[in-house]
Amino acid sequence: MSASAPKKKRSLGPGFFGSLSASPFALLMVFGFVAPLLCVVWFGFMPPKTFELLQAPTLVNYQTIFEQTYFKSILWSLGLASLTVMILLVICYPLAFAMAKIFKGGASFVTYAIATSLFVSENIRLFGWVIGFMKNGVVGGTLAKVFNIQIDSLLYNVPVIILGMVYVYLPFMLFPLTLGIKMVPDPVREAAFDLGASRWQVFKKIDLPLSMPGMLIGSLLVFVLSVGAISEAKILGGQKVVTIASDIESEFTYAQNWPLGSALSTLFIALTTVVVFFALGRFDLEKLLGKKSSE
Amino acid sequence: MDDSANAAPILEVANITKRFDKFVAVNDVSFEIRDGEFFTLVGPSGSGKTTLLRMLVGMEKPTSGELRLRGKVINDLPPNRRPTCMVFQSLALFPHMTVGKNVEFPLSIRGASESDRRTRAWELLKALHLDPNRYYNKNVTQCSGGERQRVALARALAYDPDILFFDEPLSAIDARLRKVLQKELKDIQRTTKKTFCYVTHSLEEAMVMSDRVAILRAGVIEQIGTPDQIYGSPKNAFVAEFMGEVNLLDITALGGSAADWETGRKPIPITLPTLPAPLEPGTKHKLLIRPESLRFLAPGETAGNAVPVRILNEFSLGSRIQYHVEIIPGCTLTVERLREERTADANATLGWELADSQVLES
Amino acid sequence: MIVTRTQKAGFSLYAGLVLLVFYFPVLCIIVASLSKRRFFSFPYPVEDMTIKWYSDALQSPQIADFVGVSLRIGALTAFCSVVIGFFSALAYARYRWRGRQTFQRLVLLPLFFPQSVLGLALLMWFSFLHITPAWWTAVIAHTVWITPITTLIISIQAYGLDESLEEAARDLGATRGQILRKITIPLLMPGMISATCFAVLLSWGNFALSLFTTGADSALPEWLYARMTSGYQPIVPAVGVLSVIVAVFLVLVLFGIVSWSNRKSRRAPSAH
Repeated sequence: MSASAPKKKRSLGPGFFGSLSASPFALLMVFGFVAPLLCVVWFGFMPPKTFELLQAPTLVNYQTIFEQTYFKSILWSLGLASLTVMILLVICYPLAFAMAKIFKGGASFVTYAIATSLFVSENIRLFGWVIGFMKNGVVGGTLAKVFNIQIDSLLYNVPVIILGMVYVYLPFMLFPLTLGIKMVPDPVREAAFDLGASRWQVFKKIDLPLSMPGMLIGSLLVFVLSVGAISEAKILGGQKVVTIASDIESEFTYAQNWPLGSALSTLFIALTTVVVFFALGRFDLEKLLGKKSSE
Repeated sequence: MDDSANAAPILEVANITKRFDKFVAVNDVSFEIRDGEFFTLVGPSGSGKTTLLRMLVGMEKPTSGELRLRGKVINDLPPNRRPTCMVFQSLALFPHMTVGKNVEFPLSIRGASESDRRTRAWELLKALHLDPNRYYNKNVTQCSGGERQRVALARALAYDPDILFFDEPLSAIDARLRKVLQKELKDIQRTTKKTFCYVTHSLEEAMVMSDRVAILRAGVIEQIGTPDQIYGSPKNAFVAEFMGEVNLLDITALGGSAADWETGRKPIPITLPTLPAPLEPGTKHKLLIRPESLRFLAPGETAGNAVPVRILNEFSLGSRIQYHVEIIPGCTLTVERLREERTADANATLGWELADSQVLES
Repeated sequence: MIVTRTQKAGFSLYAGLVLLVFYFPVLCIIVASLSKRRFFSFPYPVEDMTIKWYSDALQSPQIADFVGVSLRIGALTAFCSVVIGFFSALAYARYRWRGRQTFQRLVLLPLFFPQSVLGLALLMWFSFLHITPAWWTAVIAHTVWITPITTLIISIQAYGLDESLEEAARDLGATRGQILRKITIPLLMPGMISATCFAVLLSWGNFALSLFTTGADSALPEWLYARMTSGYQPIVPAVGVLSVIVAVFLVLVLFGIVSWSNRKSRRAPSAH
């Protein structure tokens, strides 16, 4: 065996196979994710209303964004998303707690009942609310028939948009939260009770801090998804509120101003990336997902 | 057993070192495994025994040194091309295959015909007291701990290796079954005449099965020899302590056969056994005395050494009784006597014969 | 943990309430799909109930086209994302390599990304490359979004894969290819099957990505959206209910696989 042969062999260790099996995914990401995003960022620097990518870059679009009222839709998006996160934390915690610690066979029933909805197009589900809440809809009709109360359409206002968002993103909060609460060891809770802690103290000092990774992941998922939400405001909100995502969409479709839409997208991406990285840097995902706690 | 002592080496380990970054897991280790012997590597956790084993089977590469199998260097041979095979600590039985398919695995890899594989698997299962009619089609996940051990062994034997390695496969088994399996393993080694190399952290296990034992500490071999040699003359305090409960006295040589026992407060003068060469005065050593070599002296009885003691505690070990005795506060010894010689006095005189003590390097 | 009966009842009541609210819109759609009238109003007389819209939906060649496009996208997406996901799961959970931690974080990135923006970005990228969007460009978009999910699903199984099984096979003479074929793939099979179901389901229901990337072709959720916002007919909720039934069927298949593989692994006495 020549001197170089063993060296070559050594490189075929787990490291080599790791990067080899990561490469198809890496290729997909480069072609289908990174390149399109760079394309968006670059397009944001093109002169307005053009469809050509190869022109001298300019900051005109960003100037337009800051001169006009786009910050309003950004604030709407951020506000709606934060509110959704908070409402979902309150709604999901008791349910997640029951699923993790109290229900036995029932937990998987609830899991499947909720998870099934993930696979139904959210448009269909939101449309169900429209049928429920419209004038002479299921709710209005029932009220009129049973209680003889006449109400107008319940649609097209801010609370209904929030209801839609809470509804659509509930699974994304519930499942991470359940995982997180499952990670709180029962003996620790029992020991706390045994040492004289009240229910509230156990919740505050044991459950909450130990289930924090699950809460964080859930909140993060919901925030990121709902900040980019578009259908809720359109289907339930009836253009009452314009979110950043629908601003972007209309620049691309009605206004046919791709560069401005791209600049808005770039801003939006930057904003979400900051939030995601800030939150992701604070905990170890592998601990939550994998069984290997340390390596 | 005796013929293996003179047998030719089958595997030579020459100056093997394994470094992980700055940590040296195995440090310049050399020894040989002889054809047909039952060789055991034993050491506490972190002693480098598993790393050493993984190098011997080819799952790690030595940083330096040479491995020679029948005279041929095998450092760079991957495990699938080495004529050696290992029984894993977890046993690593393939959960998606039946017992029979597990045993046949190495044969199917080699491309043996269906009927050959079946015949061989049948033979092996029979040899390992697993009735093939019952076990061949059984799911491995439904087997008990002992059965799984035998399946793993059968699979390794089906590979027909030159050396069969074992990575503590019995550590998860309860004490009673472990003893049975230890004896079975030894029997199989004798009947198949294969070379076995076993790794364990239990010296007791090593002593029961092995022809020769190597004791590892911190990546270095402390002592290598037959179980009798190691029990009879441990090389140093580590080996002696590793063997189980022993008394190791800190002593300072005073010249000739006189020494001081450093008890922590005031030294007690004692007499040492006869040594081939006298100890340099002022040097520190350990004196090994086994608990069963200590006895309580009746009034007027004499021994090579005698000290007054106070009995703190006694523990029943069945036919024997173990005593914890205090010489002065903070300095205790362990004594083991037969139940008939039980003493009730809290204060007694403890003695031992000079020949029952051994001077060791500390 | 000790739970009193009242506590359990309270939690069950709460869970029931959440599920009821959760399924309220689906019930509404079912009610709407059974109404004979062109414009929906509630309550409607029992005589007005009909399943006409369902038979219309099942017979409509136009809807069959949309279903065909959706199925084609779903099948190809599932294939691509499971094959790529299998290898990236090995990189994610099985091999120890230098870039692993970074890889584990980057894998999740497309999931945390607003789909509408991703769809638009892909649209621009295709137009830059002079590719005319069609159903197969939607496959690319879906694959980018779904592969991280298949990777995670297969990774969970790969974490449970005892490394020493592969080492043992290698020690017994198997080559890398034989190990992959005889040990790794069979052991990860349950994970791969669930990943396939997930991929088909997610692709089937996806709207935001399809909207921008299907070009002249149209997937079923796009048609539903267009009909909901303008030109309502009771056939819309009927198609919606049918689409839910398909999804529920796939979820049941998934449930069967998961409980089957759970039972299998529970049988192993010392499965770590």
